[in-house]
Amino acid sequence: MSNPHPSGAPAPTITALPRISGGWRVFFFYTCAFVLTGFVSLLFADLIWRTGWSPAGTLLLLLFVILFLLAAVGCVHGVFGFVLQLTGDSRRITRLADYKHQSITSTSTAIVFPVYNEDSARVCEGLRATYESLARTGHLDRFDFFILSDSTNPDRWVAEERRWFDLVKDLNALGNIFYRRRIQNEGKKSGNIRDFLSTWGKRYRYCIVFDADSLMRGETVVDLVRLMEAHPNVGMIQTVPALVNAESLFGRIQQFSNRLYARIFISGLNYWAQSFGNYWGHNAIFRTEPFMQCCDLPHLPGRKPFGGQILSHDFVEAALLLKENWQVWLAHDLEGSYEEAPQSMIENAQRDRRWCQGNLQHALVVFARGLRGLSRIHLAMGIFGYLSSPLWLAFLLTFNRILYTKQSSGLSDIPVRAFTPILGFMSVTQHAFLIFTICMTVLFLPKVLALVDLSYDSVRRRQFGGLHRAAFSAVLETAFSALHAPLQMLWHSKFVATILLGMGVNWATQNRTADGTAWSSAIRAHAGHTVIGLVWGACVWQLDRTTFWWFAPVMLGMVVSIPLSVFTSRAALGQLARNSGLFLTPEETEPGKELVALRSRVTEQEANPIEFWPHWGLAHAVADPYVNAIHVSLLREKELNPIYVEALLQFRGGGLQVLVLAERLLSDGPDALQPAERMFVMIDSETMAWLHREVWVRPPTKLAAWWHGAIQRIAR
Amino acid sequence: MNLPNPWPDEPGHIAGRPLEEWNAAYLKVECYFHALRLRNHVLLGELVLNVLDRAMKRAPQELEHSATEIATDEMDKLLAHWFRDVLKEPTGSAQILSTRGRLALYLADMPQRWQAQFLRPGPWPEEFVTAMRTSYMDAGPDFQLARMSPRPLDLGPIGTLTNLSRLGFWKMILLWMLLAAILIVIFMTHWRGNE
Repeated sequence: MSNPHPSGAPAPTITALPRISGGWRVFFFYTCAFVLTGFVSLLFADLIWRTGWSPAGTLLLLLFVILFLLAAVGCVHGVFGFVLQLTGDSRRITRLADYKHQSITSTSTAIVFPVYNEDSARVCEGLRATYESLARTGHLDRFDFFILSDSTNPDRWVAEERRWFDLVKDLNALGNIFYRRRIQNEGKKSGNIRDFLSTWGKRYRYCIVFDADSLMRGETVVDLVRLMEAHPNVGMIQTVPALVNAESLFGRIQQFSNRLYARIFISGLNYWAQSFGNYWGHNAIFRTEPFMQCCDLPHLPGRKPFGGQILSHDFVEAALLLKENWQVWLAHDLEGSYEEAPQSMIENAQRDRRWCQGNLQHALVVFARGLRGLSRIHLAMGIFGYLSSPLWLAFLLTFNRILYTKQSSGLSDIPVRAFTPILGFMSVTQHAFLIFTICMTVLFLPKVLALVDLSYDSVRRRQFGGLHRAAFSAVLETAFSALHAPLQMLWHSKFVATILLGMGVNWATQNRTADGTAWSSAIRAHAGHTVIGLVWGACVWQLDRTTFWWFAPVMLGMVVSIPLSVFTSRAALGQLARNSGLFLTPEETEPGKELVALRSRVTEQEANPIEFWPHWGLAHAVADPYVNAIHVSLLREKELNPIYVEALLQFRGGGLQVLVLAERLLSDGPDALQPAERMFVMIDSETMAWLHREVWVRPPTKLAAWWHGAIQRIAR
Repeated sequence: MNLPNPWPDEPGHIAGRPLEEWNAAYLKVECYFHALRLRNHVLLGELVLNVLDRAMKRAPQELEHSATEIATDEMDKLLAHWFRDVLKEPTGSAQILSTRGRLALYLADMPQRWQAQFLRPGPWPEEFVTAMRTSYMDAGPDFQLARMSPRPLDLGPIGTLTNLSRLGFWKMILLWMLLAAILIVIFMTHWRGNE
């Protein structure tokens, strides 16, 4: 049931499109994965048969089939992508029409940056770099920029206002770069976009969504609009952002693997997905009208963690567009789209925790009636991206259980003949080794193919620092991944378990030193991993020493997790690797103008950071003459929007009396108010204007001592 | 600028108030101008003294107010008056004028370019006046409101399962007992099989 809109605004009209259908590509692609899985599963079943079937063996086989299928799908992506890179695939959105000459003069596009308590300096500098790059294309007048804030931290909020204002002043872009903060961040990021569309969506034919750490080349932005103009039935185009600006060793390894391997994987993905692509939440363009028609997400029935608001909205939004026969494409060969990635293993896990819950929630949506089959595949792959970890853990534990049963029985192994005739000549050890070899091939083949693909391209080869360096980096990256994977397994298993039990994961605030993760944080985050690795390793050692060595790589990652986490978070080691020519990426060796501009400005900002002190935001919003003027003016503009007026009324309906609170704020200081009360004062334009005068005009005796300190700091 | 002189005060007092009180007033006014990023010391001193000059004239009549209160009030009035003269706008409330004026100062880049014009009586350079009067903030384009409403999504078989969470207490207990019974039966069969 939809709520009546406070403005009485009309709902968008529904556009009917002819039904689109997938082709034989999906069938062919997945047949390859299933055939490969079927073949290896048969070998595995035979191995279990030869060593003695048991209920635990059945479970082991079942887990193997699922896990191998996931690995096989990954491998087939790599193989198909590699072949397509060699042969060229004409079924790409960029090849379907001559879009380069498409005029965009009649278009209007909003470039939106949804932010939530992020580093406003980075957001604004990313926006500035994109803006300046777009200006160089000569098409700037077709675009408007919006910072869509959902920030709940007053310091972040006021910093955003200040940075935004300085940015528009610097660029002389008033009326071109806008800022708005919602009163309540209902619906999180998808609600933020929805709020924007409800207010301004009808002004724009297209909308390009950025993340707080996104950046796009102006030409790429223009190309996206041209592509949309050339293909009127396309509802959305997702670019494949390249990871950039990593400094830590971990970040640079992730960045390197993204840049080297993603090319063939995404080509493979585009092979079968075609016009049934996916949306990753940012660095993508969508047609505003159909998005408004189809993508207002419903609340899911039931309780959390599955019920309620859809957290990972992007996959579902793409599925809803496809459901209504709009096409969704991956523009994987469109360069100039960038994002940043976590700089440490712990930050990476924190991000995974959020994504895990959102992806598991898709279990409710995956069977929804009317969704296209390929959307279900995208959703299922997202779910299994996280479910595979507990499945792998269960596989290892089941194997250990079988080993324990065998060892404790005291009976010798009497292997029988294989039921597959072709394996008749093999011993059990050879049989097991064959399966192991196939599994390793499936896992590592795409990496090898990515290197072979690199060897054919002299420009890319140079950008990666040469083939030898790239190959050596890939070997090191593989070694690191082998150590990191068991930790991912433990983390993801914990996330899945806690989410299913409806529990949260408490992350202690991470102590970051100037150069990465602090030892204390790493010990807190990884102590459990280390203990599990040691105990598990000791148990396997006790059971069977030969098996122990097979398990050693898994245990090693857990045992060394603390130093691994600390050292890979170090920027100094990242720099050392860079100086040695390791993990180089095209954006490091030959960065574009936008990246150079962004880096130099971010470095500049880092040299003069905002020094937040307690209640910095409130103090500036009240006492700083300019910040107060910006803040109050923004609040006054907000009050013109009927949607916000409604929200403000709801807020005020909470029984809070703003003037009483404001008086207490002056006389007793900010600590006398609850956080919600402080926010309540800060969203009232009249009160904030009044407070500014009072704080400067009142005699010291009628002001809390805290204000004197705040004034001294602001006036410095 | 001339301070009121001679003062009919005893030494250590000005306009009937101790020097310490005027010093506190001086610091508060200076602080505000500092907060406006006025960095030229000569100009700053001159402006602060101008404000204090006006406050001192009022001080003998307003014994109930401290020197700081009178001085900051004078500063506020001086600013409001100057904003009104420079912006030449149909004024709303004093607060709206003050906000508009401060915003215009910032947008016109007063701290960098026009410090010498700040709080000066007119006429002002045309460029400065234009910069002040055309400095408006636009946080967003004109609204074009529309309504997005969630379209129903039939979750299929999963929807039926989620309905289980709405079962009453006793029905839920019954369901769990049934599940437990099935597990026990499976376990017993399996256990016998191993024997």
